[in-house]
Amino acid sequence: MEHILTLGFLATTIGATWRLATPIIFASIGEVVSERAGVLNIGLEGIMLIGAFVGFWTMYETGHLPLAFLAAVLSGVAAGLVFALFAITIKANQIIVGAAINLLGLGLTSFLFRTYLVHTGQGVRIAPAIDIPLLSGIPYFGAPLFKQNLLVYSTLLLPPIVGFLLYRTSFGLTLRAVGEHPKAVDVAGRSVALYRYGAVLIGSGLAGLGGGYLTLAHANQFVEGMTSGRGFIALAVVVFARWSPAGSFFVSLLFGMFYALQLQLQAEPSIHIPYQALQAMPYLATIVALLLVRNRMDAPATLGVPYRKA
Amino acid sequence: MADIDIPPSRKAASPFSSNTPLLAWSRRLLKSMLPPLVAVLVALFAGAVLLAVTGFNPLDIFTVMVSGVFQNVRSIAEMLLKATPLILIGVGLCVSFRCSIWNIGAEGQFYAGACAATFCGVNFAGLPPALHICLVLVAGTAAGALWAAIAGVLKVAFNASEIVTTIMLNYIAIFMTSYLVTGPLMEQGAAYPQSAKFAHAIWLPRIIPSTRLHIGILIAVALAVVAYVFLFRSSAGYAVRIVGINSHAARYAGISVSRSIVLAIAISGALAGLAGAVQIEGVTYRLYQDISPGYGFEAIAVALLANNNPIGAILSGILFATLDSGSELMQINAQVPQVLVFVIQGMVILSVVGFAALKFQSARPSE
Amino acid sequence: MNIERRQCLVAMGALAAMGVLGPARAAGEFKMGLLVAGSVAEEGWNRIAYEALKRVEKELGAKISYVELQQNPASFEKAFRDYASQGYQVILGHGFEFQDSAETVAEDYPDTVFLISSSNIHQGKVIGLNTDSSQPFYLMGAIAAKMGKSAGLIGGMEIPPIKEALEGFTNGAKDASPDFKISQVYLGNFSDATAAKEAAVNMIHSGADFIVPDADAAGLGAIQAVREAGPQISTFGIFSDQTEIAPKNILGTYIADYGQGIVRIVKGVQAGTVPTSNVDFGLKDADVMKFFYNDKAAKPVPDDVRKYVEEVKAKIIAGEIKTRYRK
Repeated sequence: MEHILTLGFLATTIGATWRLATPIIFASIGEVVSERAGVLNIGLEGIMLIGAFVGFWTMYETGHLPLAFLAAVLSGVAAGLVFALFAITIKANQIIVGAAINLLGLGLTSFLFRTYLVHTGQGVRIAPAIDIPLLSGIPYFGAPLFKQNLLVYSTLLLPPIVGFLLYRTSFGLTLRAVGEHPKAVDVAGRSVALYRYGAVLIGSGLAGLGGGYLTLAHANQFVEGMTSGRGFIALAVVVFARWSPAGSFFVSLLFGMFYALQLQLQAEPSIHIPYQALQAMPYLATIVALLLVRNRMDAPATLGVPYRKA
Repeated sequence: MADIDIPPSRKAASPFSSNTPLLAWSRRLLKSMLPPLVAVLVALFAGAVLLAVTGFNPLDIFTVMVSGVFQNVRSIAEMLLKATPLILIGVGLCVSFRCSIWNIGAEGQFYAGACAATFCGVNFAGLPPALHICLVLVAGTAAGALWAAIAGVLKVAFNASEIVTTIMLNYIAIFMTSYLVTGPLMEQGAAYPQSAKFAHAIWLPRIIPSTRLHIGILIAVALAVVAYVFLFRSSAGYAVRIVGINSHAARYAGISVSRSIVLAIAISGALAGLAGAVQIEGVTYRLYQDISPGYGFEAIAVALLANNNPIGAILSGILFATLDSGSELMQINAQVPQVLVFVIQGMVILSVVGFAALKFQSARPSE
Repeated sequence: MNIERRQCLVAMGALAAMGVLGPARAAGEFKMGLLVAGSVAEEGWNRIAYEALKRVEKELGAKISYVELQQNPASFEKAFRDYASQGYQVILGHGFEFQDSAETVAEDYPDTVFLISSSNIHQGKVIGLNTDSSQPFYLMGAIAAKMGKSAGLIGGMEIPPIKEALEGFTNGAKDASPDFKISQVYLGNFSDATAAKEAAVNMIHSGADFIVPDADAAGLGAIQAVREAGPQISTFGIFSDQTEIAPKNILGTYIADYGQGIVRIVKGVQAGTVPTSNVDFGLKDADVMKFFYNDKAAKPVPDDVRKYVEEVKAKIIAGEIKTRYRK
């Protein structure tokens, strides 16, 4: 029991937390952009799977890592385009279209994996950890904080970049207005649909990248259904973080910590909690979190509502 | 829901109406069935393209599917057996979706129902079988309703998105089941993560000799009718639908929005929980970790294809069961990965909402 | 694999046209079917059965077919019936969860032989085939305890074949060195390679010098963590030869040549002899259960440990060491 009170344990938790949070950070911050424009995309899970699969397949065939990441992002964008076509242009119910994207993501990736890949031997080469000189040598906390791969580090840049985009650019301003008062934007002569398309494609591209992280920067193999609910967690993160990019970053870390602790506590022979209870922790925490942010009406006013011109 | 049911008065005024009520009714039926049919064809076509691109012959494969499913009484009975949970859950989701409550948690409610049903099924051995069967079914229904009601109460009391809470409750229910079958509900003296087997006396009676088809399908069809009457012929159902169309208007009209929301989601949970109980009592006779292959998610598509009409859910449930059964045959006889069925399901949903939304736009040009 | 599937398809297309779904046409033809819950594409459990099936095709000239079912007990009975009614003489249900449905279908098809993997059932012609993984895992545990100080075990789901294997490892390690430390994690699935990797990283940080995954495809994540951690951390290849994935770290490989065992039994069935009890493959079946060392590992298993392993192996075969069910 005393083992879990050591610095070593804490350092491990920090490293694992950040790595496990990374795909959720990408997906949730992308979803913030999408939801700020009034589009609720619950197809994140499917889009992440597509990104994981396409990224892996590209790497497997070409061995070119940047190209593989690009493929992961683009496949996410492509899936987002399908979503946007139905949810924005055709104005179908966003939740239903998202559910369909999830089915398609699982079905297509599994079908193609079984048809074309199957035995992938050694897997692929993944993004290497980058050792930051001096800092990575700090006892205990050097490795978890300063010896991660580029994608993990890049999560630090994502909240400021997306924050700047949303709050400091006219694009972002209009985008948020589209989520709150689409009619006003429309009257001002700008296309609501165009902004929503932009938001969804940014969101799905980031979700694709989050999926690509799983096969190109963490594990080095594709496994059917390997996202294991991370896309759904990202949805919960957005609500918990009240549609803020920086908030999503921290809430994702919180979820990453739950994942990490779950695995660490199971491995402690002195702790006798059914492992299923530990595994259920992040999901219970989400529900509790929703109760804590009660009555905060920060949700974009037209979230989930298709815009129809008068 | 984008596709709001057009009130009967409007339908009567449409140019398709006729003076003979029966003729008008059948025309309306035909007209309402056309878009889903076209949607299914589009989805199958997309599946065919995927098959062709990956080197299979779609025509052969679809032939294998259809001829296999409708080959004889037994194969049809097997298909209906698959349809039973889909119809039950789908009917429930119709009620919830009509209220614009996006219950994504039918999967978890199914698990909750299955757990409660198993607890009652392996205990209370002294009860008369008929009573015991009823107890199991009631327990499953109640557990499903309660599990769903959590999300409903959180929605009305804390304004917590039911989409997020129901998804989270899915995971929690599945982990709970895993714990129960490896712990408290595990069969005594056996090494497998499964509950004890139900006594033969409390198995659901079968309705076609030498097949597995049990009375669950009749229960499902009967409840579809009940749900239809509830939604379209009762004041509570009317309230549910009005809340679904416009909750502000409903509030001004003096309807208790909170009550309708909790009621709608609890009904959908009750049916999903009942489906879990029926599945255990009628098919598997014991609880496993993976008792559902995703019925709760598939049933979302079932409800949608039926345009959230409980009677339609019977037909769309049968259609999805045919696809499921067919995809297994396609795997056996042509080695096509069975996961193709997910792709077809996804395509069905997309084309259904696509057509419905287009129709809606043409029917209601302005808002 | 893909090419095989297409060839199969061409043949099947023709058969479909002739009504393949009807009763068996050629009575003399020997046919074997396989049911798996999941995909034969994934490394590990289901793949073993698929490869066994291919062996039966190649070595016994049987016509074979398999079906990948969803993890859904409700669909098993129908699949058994589909095969049985099409005149398949042997049907393998790959997993204990197929027991109930096989028993039910067997009542209607008394001539069909139903083989159930990872089960100890014996009910007429429903025959359980268990590969007792606790025995090779006992050997791995012994090696780990002789060479290192702590091991981390990563299981997929808490199901008998995995629980028994991990129990075997623990017993083997504790018998060799009572102070050897073992920690254990269940992922709750066989797909989350990311979680498997992090679990392994954590165990390595906590001092484990052996990481042993038993989680099918997800386990690849754990092996990758070992590889990244460097040559001082060791692991074993489980079920298939994974040496190429981490050539420096894999000290040895346990292969269950299930195909060999299946071929042996199906050959018997073909000749008219059905096993009269359930079958438990163990180290005694040297043709089925193989364990070999990787001499190119960074820390190959030293000779004295190999000698100890040979001793305990002999004792296991002689029945002097109980590798599982100690409680």
